[in-house]
Amino acid sequence: MTKFLGINHLNASYGDIQALWGVSLKVDEGEIVALIGPNGAGKTTLLRTVAGLHQPLSGTVQLGNTALHTLPAYRIVEQGVILVPEGRRLFGGLTVLENLELGAYSQRARDARFKTLKHVFELFPILAERQKQRANTMSGGQQQMLAIGRALMGLPRLLMLDEPSLGLAPMIVQNIFEIVKLMNDRGVTIFLVEQNARQALELAHRAYILEQGKVVGTGTGRELLRNNEVRKAYLGFAPTAR
Amino acid sequence: MKAMTLLQTSSGSFRRWLVSSGIIILILLAIFIPRQVDKQNVWNLFFLICLHISLGQSWNFLAGFAGQSSLGHAAFFGIGALVTRTLWFREMPFALAFISGGAAAVLFAMLIGAPTFRLRGAYFAIGTLGVAEVLRITASQNLPLISTMSGPLIATYDLPARYYLALGLALATTGAAYILLRSPWSLGILAVREDEEAAQATGVHVLRHKLLALSLSSFFAGLAGGVFAFQQISYYPSAPFSPVWTFDALLITFIGGLGTLSGPVIGAIFFVVVREQLAVNLVEFHQVIFGILFILIVLVFPGGLVQAWERLIKVSIRKEKQNVNISK
Amino acid sequence: MSIESIAQTLVFGLFVGGIYGIAAMGLALVFGVLKMLNIAHGELVMLGGYVSFWAFSTLGIDPFVSLAIVIPVLFVVGLALDRTVYRHIVRLLGEEKIKNSLLVSFGLTLVLQNLAQWLFTADERAIQVSYAGVGLNLFGVTMPYTRLGTLSIALVVTLALNYFLHHTYPGKAILATAEDFEAAELAGINIHRVYMMTFALGASLASIAGTFVTVTYGISPSVGILWTLKALIVIVLAGTGSILGAFPAGILLGVVEAVSGAFIGATYREVVGLVIFLLVLILRPQGLFARS
Repeated sequence: MTKFLGINHLNASYGDIQALWGVSLKVDEGEIVALIGPNGAGKTTLLRTVAGLHQPLSGTVQLGNTALHTLPAYRIVEQGVILVPEGRRLFGGLTVLENLELGAYSQRARDARFKTLKHVFELFPILAERQKQRANTMSGGQQQMLAIGRALMGLPRLLMLDEPSLGLAPMIVQNIFEIVKLMNDRGVTIFLVEQNARQALELAHRAYILEQGKVVGTGTGRELLRNNEVRKAYLGFAPTAR
Repeated sequence: MKAMTLLQTSSGSFRRWLVSSGIIILILLAIFIPRQVDKQNVWNLFFLICLHISLGQSWNFLAGFAGQSSLGHAAFFGIGALVTRTLWFREMPFALAFISGGAAAVLFAMLIGAPTFRLRGAYFAIGTLGVAEVLRITASQNLPLISTMSGPLIATYDLPARYYLALGLALATTGAAYILLRSPWSLGILAVREDEEAAQATGVHVLRHKLLALSLSSFFAGLAGGVFAFQQISYYPSAPFSPVWTFDALLITFIGGLGTLSGPVIGAIFFVVVREQLAVNLVEFHQVIFGILFILIVLVFPGGLVQAWERLIKVSIRKEKQNVNISK
Repeated sequence: MSIESIAQTLVFGLFVGGIYGIAAMGLALVFGVLKMLNIAHGELVMLGGYVSFWAFSTLGIDPFVSLAIVIPVLFVVGLALDRTVYRHIVRLLGEEKIKNSLLVSFGLTLVLQNLAQWLFTADERAIQVSYAGVGLNLFGVTMPYTRLGTLSIALVVTLALNYFLHHTYPGKAILATAEDFEAAELAGINIHRVYMMTFALGASLASIAGTFVTVTYGISPSVGILWTLKALIVIVLAGTGSILGAFPAGILLGVVEAVSGAFIGATYREVVGLVIFLLVLILRPQGLFARS
């Protein structure tokens, strides 16, 4: 399989502090790859760097043959790499519809926006209902759906999600993960950062563990679910007897 | 450059001795040069420099040390000028009128201080600008169009006396800043400048420290206004309230180095000398040059000339060290 | 006071308010989107006024027609200022950004004001159109054509701006950047282009106000700070997040000034605006129109 997203020896800082130390990982086309790890490990910094919000100190980020780490954020979006940021980051004073329309800002997405909008409304009927409502009047779960919907309007080839389950009720989280799976079935590659390690590992084909800015482990979702260290650290289990 | 490098790398006490004697020499020069030369334009030049040192240093208290960039400084300058001039013309001995000017400025500052300090950042800046403008408009409406010294006062006009008053004030203002920085209050004030919320969290009484900085700032600005009123034979009473004085204070302090002791001094010397020079040749141009210089300073050298000088020294030290290593 | 004179006062307040509103919207755009305070905004108003004066005095073009020249010229000036100066500040954050933008724009006021003084001298310049002093007379209220012209164009501009911001992609991108610039970047918006365009748009709005000022009062290099202050007062009244709200707030200020001027005299008229400004700043910083 061709390497779709390749991150090589990435060093990046968050403010004055170095947050990522020589991180290397890859996401193959069509996969769901999860990134788990404790708070402050650098997961968000990694996604933001890939998305172009931060300049790395050194290292590369490649999408196929295209170098992403030298591009500004809006060009990376044009390449089809779209981030659903932590905390949703909606345009609160604008309506649901306006938020979705803005997701389709790049030319490629803009040309197809009517069709995409229909798809998004099918996926998230609640958004269709509340189109004219201002984004900051919606509940947390609805906002997350809007954030994902906005990202989908950009016609992503690689969709990155930063803590989509944060602050949401379990049923809504379930719903969102189902939709992520659905998008993946439709051909969108997924790179997912999650606190909720169990669900992330159950969903993902492969996963990486990031601790203190370094990749300390990798494997398939299933492997990591069975791994004692992972179970102890992230799944809340005592080590099983072998 | 070698001498400067020597200065930086030599021991603390030697440096302190050198700096103190440098300052003393400067003061002596300031006292004796105008007297030696004894030309009116030289007295005036030195007077302007000292006046602007006080103007900048007084603004520095609030903006440089406490981090509150007020745009209403002209209000204090204007009040000081107005009160001093009015009381003095009404037969009050000048010294008393002078101090009253400063006191009146502080009084005004304390009145508007607490409500104004509720504003932050940009809002504080435009709020203070608004207050100063209210004062200026009110003053220009209610004061006579022009204020002129009476015959006897003109006859006994003593320019050197005015200069030495200005010099004394410049020294007092800078001295007060020095003492403040060495006082137990300094930590609190600087903490407020760096991060108000953090300072609050560590128990610093933020408002009290701001008001302290404000009272010093307004007092010395008011006295500076008094010096101005003392020196001007005839002027428009609303002129000291003009925002130009605020902006000059800003320029001086920034060009020299905000938050430093020597910044306003260097800035004032630079500002006045350049302005007087350019005013001779290109009347409008000096403002354009100051504007461009100011922009460059904000963008490139936020620490002003002081920072530029320090960077220059650091570079030369590094070069010296490299040379030493190579020659080894 | 007769009904007619009250009505006359109100109407003139409206006329002036229209100018305030346009001037303020330009500043509100820059403050709302770039999160910078441009103290030199009044100088942009002044420059716009001078361009229309120049068009009138050397080319004989009617000031309202000259807007076709004034707006593009100041648009380009705005682009240039953004590219050379403000671009370096916009990448700072929060308070540092505001403080630095205050300072830099202060430096610009010195440059621009004295540039104008060098080019046009410090004398006040005025435009005397052929139809000056002529106007409508409704119910005893005089409405000069020049004033009607400024108000109607101001209204048209406001409506056009509203349409642009809410119904076109570039406009919506501007609003999005104002809401959350990182989210805007993540949506594929080139925020640096947005910043540049917004600043230029703000300069254009200032230039329209400047043309109105020249027609209504006359222009001189030193009026910059007065207009900056007016624009500041209006955006504080409207609430600093509100861009289009600056127009009704401007009208309000114009009317309040006119009415209080009628009662306490023209000289204290200015003070009234400032006092209201300070009160709103301290007591209701989110502005008069904000939904709290």
